[in-house]
Amino acid sequence: MKLTTIKAYILKEFMELYRTRLIIMVYLMPSMIVLLFGYGIRMDVTHARILIIDNDQSKFSQMLTSKFEHTKYFNAKVLHVSEKEALRSIKQAKTDAVLIIPSSFEKRLLHGQKSEIGIFVDASFPTRATTIEGYIKGTVLDTASEVAQRGGLSAKGLITLNQRTLFNQAMRDEDAIVPGLIGLVLLVAPAILAALLIVKEKEEGTIFNFYASPLSKGEFLLAKLFPAFLLHSINIFILFLIAVYIFNVPFRGSFMLYWLSSELYILISLSIGMLISVITSRQIVAVVLTVIITIIPGFLYSGMLMPISSMVGESYIEAHLFPVMYYNHILYDTFLIGQGLGSKKIIMYLLILVGFAVVLFSAGTLLLKKEMK
Amino acid sequence: MSLLEVKNIRVSYKKRLGIDNASLEANSGEIIGFIGADGAGKSSLMHSIAGVIRFEGEVVYDGIAYHSPKEAEQVKPFIGLMPQGIGLVLYNTLSVGEHLEFFADIRNVKKDEKFQAYKEKLLHMAGLSAFIDREAGKLSGGMMQKLSLICTLLHRPKLLILDEPTTGVDPLSRLELWEILDSIRKEEGTVILVSTAYMQEASKMDKIFLFDEGEIIAQGTNKELIDSIRPYVYEEVTCKEECLSFNKRTYSLKPLHVNRAEPTLEGLFFVNALKKKKLLPQVVIAKRDKEIAIPPVVMQAYGITKRFGSFTANDHVDIELKRGEILGLLGANGAGKTTFIKMLLGLYPIDEGELTLLEKVIKSGDDRQTLKSKIGYVSQHFALYNDMTVRENLIYFANMHQIPLKTALNRIEQYANELGFKEYMDELPTALPLGVNQRFSIAAALLHEPLVLFLDEPTSGVDTIARAQFWEILKKLKEQWNISILITTHYMSEAEYCDRVLLLKQGKKIADDTIENFYKTHPDAKSFEDIFLTYYKDVE
Repeated sequence: MKLTTIKAYILKEFMELYRTRLIIMVYLMPSMIVLLFGYGIRMDVTHARILIIDNDQSKFSQMLTSKFEHTKYFNAKVLHVSEKEALRSIKQAKTDAVLIIPSSFEKRLLHGQKSEIGIFVDASFPTRATTIEGYIKGTVLDTASEVAQRGGLSAKGLITLNQRTLFNQAMRDEDAIVPGLIGLVLLVAPAILAALLIVKEKEEGTIFNFYASPLSKGEFLLAKLFPAFLLHSINIFILFLIAVYIFNVPFRGSFMLYWLSSELYILISLSIGMLISVITSRQIVAVVLTVIITIIPGFLYSGMLMPISSMVGESYIEAHLFPVMYYNHILYDTFLIGQGLGSKKIIMYLLILVGFAVVLFSAGTLLLKKEMK
Repeated sequence: MSLLEVKNIRVSYKKRLGIDNASLEANSGEIIGFIGADGAGKSSLMHSIAGVIRFEGEVVYDGIAYHSPKEAEQVKPFIGLMPQGIGLVLYNTLSVGEHLEFFADIRNVKKDEKFQAYKEKLLHMAGLSAFIDREAGKLSGGMMQKLSLICTLLHRPKLLILDEPTTGVDPLSRLELWEILDSIRKEEGTVILVSTAYMQEASKMDKIFLFDEGEIIAQGTNKELIDSIRPYVYEEVTCKEECLSFNKRTYSLKPLHVNRAEPTLEGLFFVNALKKKKLLPQVVIAKRDKEIAIPPVVMQAYGITKRFGSFTANDHVDIELKRGEILGLLGANGAGKTTFIKMLLGLYPIDEGELTLLEKVIKSGDDRQTLKSKIGYVSQHFALYNDMTVRENLIYFANMHQIPLKTALNRIEQYANELGFKEYMDELPTALPLGVNQRFSIAAALLHEPLVLFLDEPTSGVDTIARAQFWEILKKLKEQWNISILITTHYMSEAEYCDRVLLLKQGKKIADDTIENFYKTHPDAKSFEDIFLTYYKDVE
């Protein structure tokens, strides 16, 4: 190892990063993504506009209506309009759902007869529609059970809801999304930086300094990746602070585990970028390739949009091919659950991440040639 | 035993051969010159010896033999390589001083007093002492090359490999580069391999290797090589077959009944072409379809000035171009040649001064519109469409000038015959040698039969023979069409073919005279390069 040589390269990299203003990207991009997406993505639904047509005008029907009126999930409006007109307002996107209470609602209920309530939901956004539908059902059932108790009827045959959400009791979007975003940016940002590092020298011709010098491949890569690694390590802390203090995401696990697994993950990301840098010869190609390879899986298989466990077939296999799934599992654990190393799965996932790092880095080292093509 | 022995090197790329069967020997303190056209194999051989490319064959340096880049690792501490391209190995955002530190460190040079003294000496030799803090990206081309060279010299290599270090560098910087090299080899006993496009430089080297199509076709000292072609060089004479004429000399393998002339290194290329029967087609230019009246003064520029921010690219330049005249615009990189031509064409607005083109004062874009059909232009990088064949390119240019299709096709056919690119008509420009592209770029500029032709560095990178033919075309065009030509070039030897030469330096005109007068006022000058240098030095 020629320490002076490596030090000289590292120093040069830092100076270049600073003077080409690339360093702004190193710190701006990850924070920007987390802030923009963290505020931007909203999965749960509040203040859904619901139009209620009460054809019964009874005590029970008013009870139901008031349930809808007194919740943050709905903006209820009771109107005396025809079913047709109500449906048209969905079409015009003036309302998200319509609830129709039949005329003999109370009477039938008191006689213990079956009663049907009409629900129409705008499903142009399927997930949103499912969520709204679930809320409406819940509200109706809730009312029904109350009515049954009051009416002295036995609760028998009536469904009682006993829902409890775990790990994210408040059902906050931030808690579900922000850790996933950290997994995304720590995959994308270091990879792009690393992708630029070698291919830039190839494109500009300065790679000859490496070709013609006695510097070894390993020393060259070390010198190239060390500055990127160091700079992005700071991002681990910045992103943590953003998550915990700006988005108020709880942190229940071990910070040590978060930190070390993140460093490992950055190493993987850098190796991906380096691998791309080694095989391409133009900066623009390297960047586009890196973005495609990291952003898409980083988003889809982050567990933000859909849990990996509910994936089937190809998507399940693909999810396991990218490192983001393993890292995000650890991330969500450290933020929301806090099992830490007590979980065998986490230890296994950590080992898999180490495997990723070793394989990708070795591939890059092997493919890098100290000669012209 | 020689310090460096190269045996039967072969480098092949995916589609073509780089170099084959190349061998050479060099001793301590020798400067070995590589000459030859682009793609002749000079760089391939240099890269092999430097151990940065895979090759077949063997290189032995100081008893260490290597056959691959991997094996070459052990000699890399002793090698210095400066690849082709201005400032190629420099980092734009690093300053001169930082470069020296970086290059010393990657070579693990101990930074003791001796090193500091050596560094100061190199900086001083390169004239860069005052620019320690300047970023490399803000240096001129010549300074960049000098910086690259001293960076390569920092670890005192015993084998220095320089690939066209002087191409595109102004004559003064070139001279300084050679002074550095000369003193280094004397003091350090370094073996220096240099490739160059300038024959005058080559003639000063200890041994010269001539490359052609991936082979070394001749080697020896300057004198040996020149003597080898002596029997084939005659004074210029018009001849019909199997001979080539260029620069006041005629080359022929068959005896001619004229006096012999003193050969030059350039002659090697012509004799080689004759031997290989690579005769270029004779250039014929027919008269114009219709005779056109041309004013006696075609272009008149008075006090033309162009500023880019605080930088003045052209500073009150006066230029006059007469009917039927070839005017050479010479100057170092960044002297303002291209800027001037771009202003003539209306590609840059003129900041100050008055321009008269074909007796019309140019004040606005509209004034130019009517003149477009009378001006032909060939740019530095030949503005050809690489995904259209030669024929399609020419038809496209004809359409742009609204030439009736029938006339256009006739003319294209005619030029293809006259300028000798008929067999390449259905090929893509990228597949053709630079020399052919250059000829058909000229054809494209001539389709609308202009009265005046502006040529921006049309010959850079083109091999000697293609250049000779190119000047032949210009000469005939002038004779047959009475056309005026304004041409920029950085080959000083080409100044000789111009009627009048104008020297630019840092945006200012420093000389403007006919070739004869230049030689009269400088009786000691052996070539135009000497004259150029006196002007450049005088003004300093």
